Amino acid sequence: MVFIGGINIPEGVLVKKALTGFYGVGPNVAARLCAKLAIHDRALVEDLSISKTTAVTLELTKMPIESDLRRKIQEDIKRLRDMGTYRGRRHAMSLPVRGQNTRSQINTARKLNRVERLG
Amino acid sequence: MFPTRALLSRSVWKGPFVVPLPIMRNLPMGQKPPPVKTQARSCTILPDFVDMVFQVHNGKDYVDVLITVDMVGHKLGEFAPTRKPFSYKMSKNR
Repeated sequence: MVFIGGINIPEGVLVKKALTGFYGVGPNVAARLCAKLAIHDRALVEDLSISKTTAVTLELTKMPIESDLRRKIQEDIKRLRDMGTYRGRRHAMSLPVRGQNTRSQINTARKLNRVERLG
Repeated sequence: MFPTRALLSRSVWKGPFVVPLPIMRNLPMGQKPPPVKTQARSCTILPDFVDMVFQVHNGKDYVDVLITVDMVGHKLGEFAPTRKPFSYKMSKNR
């Protein structure tokens, strides 16, 4: 078990794979983070030295991830709604926001577009 | 991979898209400027539009929009919906 960014990660996981477990860290951000801290592509989490682990944790605290990011997204949607914009209204109606067709296939919008967004 | 998506927005050297609007300036103190009636929905809201009332065309009639600080940087048309919400009406003759 390795402790990175507030959670325990089991052994035998690639570092870049483990980083994408955080909400707000995708493959691109994880690859960039590994490149910045000179962690090679196939490094496992247990191979990291303690200084590297703390460096990764420090980098993660600098960027908005997990609940911070969720709250930021919710605030952005709420701001659009309170202003009375078209985009805010589309969020409130659970419909596509960016001008997609709505004749069929709007499942993602129905699931995600809320004023209090969950996903 | 591109550096940031912000670079894909409008070029800075062009400045915000603004059309000349009939805004009354230099009014005597304590007098509110009359609402600005416009069809320019794509006009960007500038910081000096704050606390003014615009009447934005939605294709049929003019919607009153009071500009607040949050709205700066958005377009006028975002605040005047052009579609009527669908409501089901029972047909009389079946």
